[in-house]
Amino acid sequence: MEQTVSDLALRKTVEVAAPPERAFSLFTERMAEWWPLATHSVGEERAETVLFEPGVGGRIVERTLDGEEHVWGTVTAWEPPGRVAFTWHPGREADTEQDVEVRFEPSGSGTRVELVHTGWERLGDRAAAVYENYDGGWDFVVGERFAAAANL
Amino acid sequence: MTYAYAITALADPTRRAVLEELRSGPRAVGEIAARLPVSRPAVSQHLRVLKDAGLVRDRAEGTRRLYSVNGDGLAELRAYVNGFWDEALAAYERAASETEGADDGADRE
Repeated sequence: MEQTVSDLALRKTVEVAAPPERAFSLFTERMAEWWPLATHSVGEERAETVLFEPGVGGRIVERTLDGEEHVWGTVTAWEPPGRVAFTWHPGREADTEQDVEVRFEPSGSGTRVELVHTGWERLGDRAAAVYENYDGGWDFVVGERFAAAANL
Repeated sequence: MTYAYAITALADPTRRAVLEELRSGPRAVGEIAARLPVSRPAVSQHLRVLKDAGLVRDRAEGTRRLYSVNGDGLAELRAYVNGFWDEALAAYERAASETEGADDGADRE
């Protein structure tokens, strides 16, 4: 079956024992407690923490040990405990952003957390210049795995 | 930086339309240009970018050159994004379980 750009959109679901309010706050304001910074950041081993600022317009921003800040995205919807959405452009300019939406639904005594990552169609031509100039940024956005697998 | 080319290759809507034209099977440049409001040279240019990005393959068939989607290119990119979130959400899930366990008890300090 042929793949197309729309196939890049994806949906992920996890079930957690925490109730929605706690699941929501853990995902957002307490992101620093769990986000795998060493592998999922711009600074990697130099990344110190990530801040998820609450409310629409809040930034999701990584801070490195040397005080650099890298904004990964901006909150576009803040509806605790059911829903949060944000733009997503880690390691690159905001004009190449995608969209991530996370929903928290009660499931028994816990929460069903669903994440949807879309907006791949929105990448713009300016991306080319940014990507060529951003040293190391691509490891975060796409990763060595893709490069190795593409094997070109 | 091949993977960078893959993402930027998808950035242009016309280029995406060219890629979509290949969904139903291999096509020559003229066949694609006939179905889009795009000139042949522009189609050739888009195909060149898509090929450099690993998203399109080509082969000679007699005097024609046929282009087809390289499903592997997009599949690999999707696999990356997929794995990225799998790992992040696994870490979230672990933290959510630990948190729940800790919060169940009274002051444990």
